[in-house]
Amino acid sequence: MDFNPCMKHQLIRKTVREFVESEIKPHVSLMDKESRFPWEIIEKMKPLNFFGLQVPRIYGGADLDTISYAITIEELSRVSAALGLCVTVHNSVGIYPILKFGTTEQKKRFVPAMASGESIGAFCLTEANAGSDAGGVETSAVETQDAFILNGTKIFVTNGGVCGTILVFAVSEGKDKKDQDKRNHANVFIVEKERSGFSVGEIEDLCGMRANPVSSLFFEDCKIPKTNLLGRMGQGMKIGLIALDTGRIGIAAQALGIAQAAFESSISYAKERQQFNKPLSKFQTIQNYLADMATKIDASRLLLYRAAASKDKGKTFSAEASMAKLYCSATAMEVTDLAVQIHGGYGYSKEYDVERYFRDAKVTQIYEGTSEVQKMVIARSILSKPS
Amino acid sequence: MVSELPWNSKTGTLKRELAEGMMDPASRRALEAALQIKENQGAHICAVTMGPVMAQEILHQAKALGADEGILLTDRRMAGADTFLTSLILSRFIQREYKSFDLVICGSQTSDSETAQVGPQLAEELGIPAIGYANHINVKENILEAQRHVDDFYEILSMDLPGLITIDLSAYKPRYLALEGVEKAFENPDIKIINAEKLGLDDSFNALKDSPTRIIDVFSPTTQNENRLLKGAVKKIVDQLFDEYGKVISSAMGKDIKTHEHDEV
Repeated sequence: MDFNPCMKHQLIRKTVREFVESEIKPHVSLMDKESRFPWEIIEKMKPLNFFGLQVPRIYGGADLDTISYAITIEELSRVSAALGLCVTVHNSVGIYPILKFGTTEQKKRFVPAMASGESIGAFCLTEANAGSDAGGVETSAVETQDAFILNGTKIFVTNGGVCGTILVFAVSEGKDKKDQDKRNHANVFIVEKERSGFSVGEIEDLCGMRANPVSSLFFEDCKIPKTNLLGRMGQGMKIGLIALDTGRIGIAAQALGIAQAAFESSISYAKERQQFNKPLSKFQTIQNYLADMATKIDASRLLLYRAAASKDKGKTFSAEASMAKLYCSATAMEVTDLAVQIHGGYGYSKEYDVERYFRDAKVTQIYEGTSEVQKMVIARSILSKPS
Repeated sequence: MVSELPWNSKTGTLKRELAEGMMDPASRRALEAALQIKENQGAHICAVTMGPVMAQEILHQAKALGADEGILLTDRRMAGADTFLTSLILSRFIQREYKSFDLVICGSQTSDSETAQVGPQLAEELGIPAIGYANHINVKENILEAQRHVDDFYEILSMDLPGLITIDLSAYKPRYLALEGVEKAFENPDIKIINAEKLGLDDSFNALKDSPTRIIDVFSPTTQNENRLLKGAVKKIVDQLFDEYGKVISSAMGKDIKTHEHDEV
């Protein structure tokens, strides 16, 4: 058991950090303020493989292992959680299901444009009446002789305003009419933004992640060819769960990046800010805060890399990914809360980055499965083992 | 810059553990120049560094950026070498292991000591011509053309190959490393490691003791100058300013200002 990162993973971290510190960091505050998706930065990220992190080279990706992937998202989110979100959703729940369940024809048709960043991926499951309960999906898919017709509205879609390739969950009428459980009739379809009947709703006015154009997506008699069905009919729930397991590693990494950034700001502020004629870092209360932050961040990192390593070894990683996501997102929330506290009034001001970290952190406990759902996944895994 | 590095001002040494794995900015530019030659006309790039075992990381980085091979010269007996012995060791490697080279490209100066001596000294050791501080180079068969900025002039020089150039810190802005490059570099992670014995340095060789130059002290200068506030009527202050600081202003502007004629303007 070796807890030290290997040279490759160190170099991945430095490579990402060098780019994000120079090309993204100077613009993050304004991106957040203006709720602006920075296309000019995306252009710079494209040739560096941010949009094809784990995609095999034959489809134009970097073919990274999952630990490298997690480090990339962590470092990107340490500077911009909103771009970390864009990149992880695109790579994990956008591309990965196509690589895992797609036919060779589908991989050739969709993956190269996504891996190059030309077409940004989105994954839409959530609806007005379906969130944690995926069985509540109402978007329908009706099979005709040569196509599927989709109808429904998806909400809170990450990358919604900029996506080019969308994975859509829709239920169909099953062959067995007696089986009313929608979860057995869920399907995933790949929809290109050019399809008629597809449209993008208004960008959501959210608490955090404001540079990511989260939006609703509308499907009105949206006709797509049969070759756009991912996997088999009725396989949607399985595809969704496997996609989310992968997605959770990414969101855990994102949460860790936010926590790390808040921690670093807190250390430098505590050393620099003087009260009662000494720096904050000389007060035991502040030292205790910093010690708690450091410990939780370290534990988060270990859980995250273990989940990633399990995936790389081809083991099941569902519970590991959920534990990492549950703990990293809780850490992000606790650490950003303490970071604001350490910064006092300044921490509550938009003049300081910790204010943004605090707003960005909360949603990591909500999307890609809420913390409560993660506990369901973990408990299911524990209880399914023979005692 | 020295001041930007994790320097221990008490002992006068670089905190190597904090500077770990950084490719020197000047070397990064030298590598960029090599990569552009490779892209434009084809080349085989061999990245060489001398340092502790952990310096392998920057050779992986060089390979990830496009170098064809990475060589690490490392030995406890070579630690602490000054620029004179560093040049000697590098020249030993080239003479013994890499005789058929066309061009040696160095950064103009390292960020830890900024002596700018290794490049020119290495050329001397190898007995080849050298051009320092190039900001643009062009290779045509066996001749290299280099442009450099000297004072207020640009010089264009031509040099027969094999030769050595050093790349100026203002030129060849390095590219960002693509993630695919990192993954590929570690698919073939071989870094050739060469020690003092392989370089034919005799048993008594000890760089720390044998280096002819030594750093006695490193410290930050404390400024003696204080700001001065001139008070009074504008005309009086301007006269005083030109009387007392006319020469300083002239030299900063690079222009002669006639300090007594402004009265008439």
